[in-house]
Amino acid sequence: MTLPAFLARRLLFSIPLLVGVLFFTFALVRIGGQDPVALLAGPTATVQEIELVRRELGLDQPMAAQFLIYAQKVVSFDLGRSWLSNKPVLSELLDRVPVTFELMFWGVLLGAAIGIPVGLRAALRADGPFDQVSRFLSLLGFSIPTYWLGLVMLFVFFFLLEWAPPGMGRISLIVSPPPRITGSYLVDGLLTANWEAAHSALSQLVLPVVCVAIVASAPIIKQTRAMALEVLGRDYVRLARAAGLPERAVRRIVWRNALVPVVTFIGTEVTGLVGTASLIEYVFAWGGMGQYGLHAITSGDFAVVQGYVLFLALFSVLVFLLVDVVGFLLEPRSGASG
Amino acid sequence: MSAAHAPSLPARLGRRLVGLARRSPTMAIGAAIILVFALLAIFHGTVMPHDPVRAYPSEVLKPPSARFWFGTDGNGMDVFSRVIYGSLYAFGIAVPSVAIGLALGVPIGLWTGYKGGLLDETTMRIFDALRVFPIIILALAIVAATGQSLVNVIFVIGLIDAPIFVRVVRAEVLALRSSNFVEAARALGNPTWRILFVHLLPNALRGAIAQTSVRAAWAVRISATLAFLGVGIQQPTPEWGAMIRQGAEFIVTGQWWVAIFPGCALILLVLGFNMFGDGAQDVLDPQRKSAK
Repeated sequence: MTLPAFLARRLLFSIPLLVGVLFFTFALVRIGGQDPVALLAGPTATVQEIELVRRELGLDQPMAAQFLIYAQKVVSFDLGRSWLSNKPVLSELLDRVPVTFELMFWGVLLGAAIGIPVGLRAALRADGPFDQVSRFLSLLGFSIPTYWLGLVMLFVFFFLLEWAPPGMGRISLIVSPPPRITGSYLVDGLLTANWEAAHSALSQLVLPVVCVAIVASAPIIKQTRAMALEVLGRDYVRLARAAGLPERAVRRIVWRNALVPVVTFIGTEVTGLVGTASLIEYVFAWGGMGQYGLHAITSGDFAVVQGYVLFLALFSVLVFLLVDVVGFLLEPRSGASG
Repeated sequence: MSAAHAPSLPARLGRRLVGLARRSPTMAIGAAIILVFALLAIFHGTVMPHDPVRAYPSEVLKPPSARFWFGTDGNGMDVFSRVIYGSLYAFGIAVPSVAIGLALGVPIGLWTGYKGGLLDETTMRIFDALRVFPIIILALAIVAATGQSLVNVIFVIGLIDAPIFVRVVRAEVLALRSSNFVEAARALGNPTWRILFVHLLPNALRGAIAQTSVRAAWAVRISATLAFLGVGIQQPTPEWGAMIRQGAEFIVTGQWWVAIFPGCALILLVLGFNMFGDGAQDVLDPQRKSAK
């Protein structure tokens, strides 16, 4: 199968998934048994506004028609308006994407940089002391509540040691942010040679990034270990060992063969991590998409909740697609069977 | 197995437990942690030195002392008593929600795995589709949309768990469904429900049992997360997540005890469930540990 054919097939299969996702977000404001208008227009809406929303959503029409109206709106990039800020949801979300991306990017990178080597080493000496310790740490990583970790970090590094700035956003309040180019204060500061801003942005980044990395690394350790163990059991590794290859060469073979599934795993892990990272954003007042979404959930801004959930789901669909394409490029045979 | 030569039941049970603990120390430690918290939850009345929701107006934000072991919170309530009472919430949410997950997931898993075909395909596709939603956000959004109450929190966690149980049970049924004992049962004219629940169920529960503990860990975690955000469980409920929420205000000004202690209890119990589940997976599936 060629790549275009694979892509076409894969995209075709995504269509029912997308419809399903749309149906879910459509249902989200209706399952509670409350009036969806009340949820979407908010408690401050006037009678006229409520009437307007009611007509816009087509609530006097049957469910199927309502769904079509909703789908039509989403396809034309209209995710509704937040009643809190009275701004369109989509542009509010898009504004915050680079902010969240910055945190996720460094966090996952650091998490992988810790998780992959630890997992590999643990697998090479399975059931040895290193494996036991790393397995315990990985379980601990699964068990620590993200937000609590953030709070403890702030307590230790901001309050006790005074190494880190307070967790109040992405740049110190007394430093003026650089002009927006990429949306990341660190990168923008570096680009405009504004060292003060870049330094402040970097110091604000450290704690939340370490939090994301700790949370991200636990499953990476577990998965890398499992993948490497599987590769270690394959015939070619046993042959390499039987042939007397030095342990270093064997390790290289294991590493190269375990890498592909591990990278694919990290890709899919990112989609769930966006949710976890939103709690870190919340604790550090990061101001990204995640904090925006959580704030909407806690304050009952349902147009934003609906849009945020949809946005994350579409992101996951895209990531799964990318992961499949990468998998196909690395191993074209896998596409033929599936 | 003959009862005549066997030692007494407690002795056998004890030896069995010691054997299990030796096979998986992880599981044993996990079990011990869960047991301690379960005892705290059951005997909270006798263990708590203070009423968990009684405020001492003159004792607000006092550091740990002989009278208040874990200090007092912003309302002047005893953190130690509240942490103990919190275990009641943890089990009170985890046990019913996992039960709901099992009650929904196991029959669906049995049925779809055994029947196969279009029904199976559709169910699995729907569950695949659910994977695109980050699970924390999914739980939060549904609880927020369905009205915030403790009962809703339990139901939503159970509903989100169900597909996981479906998956593990279905996988085992798929492997068993064309085996001889099922064919024999069918040939003898057993009705489908009997094949599912009498013949297949006992053989297909292994994966689900190991998952139960992991799901309980998740239930404790996610319910605390919801409470931390103030969704579903409100202050001043003595629930760990809600306590951490209050402590978040004070931690950056140095009153660490309000958030740290409930957090430690939360980690410990979640870790206990995770360790138990991890060990149980090894014991129940000997092939997994050393994939050689």
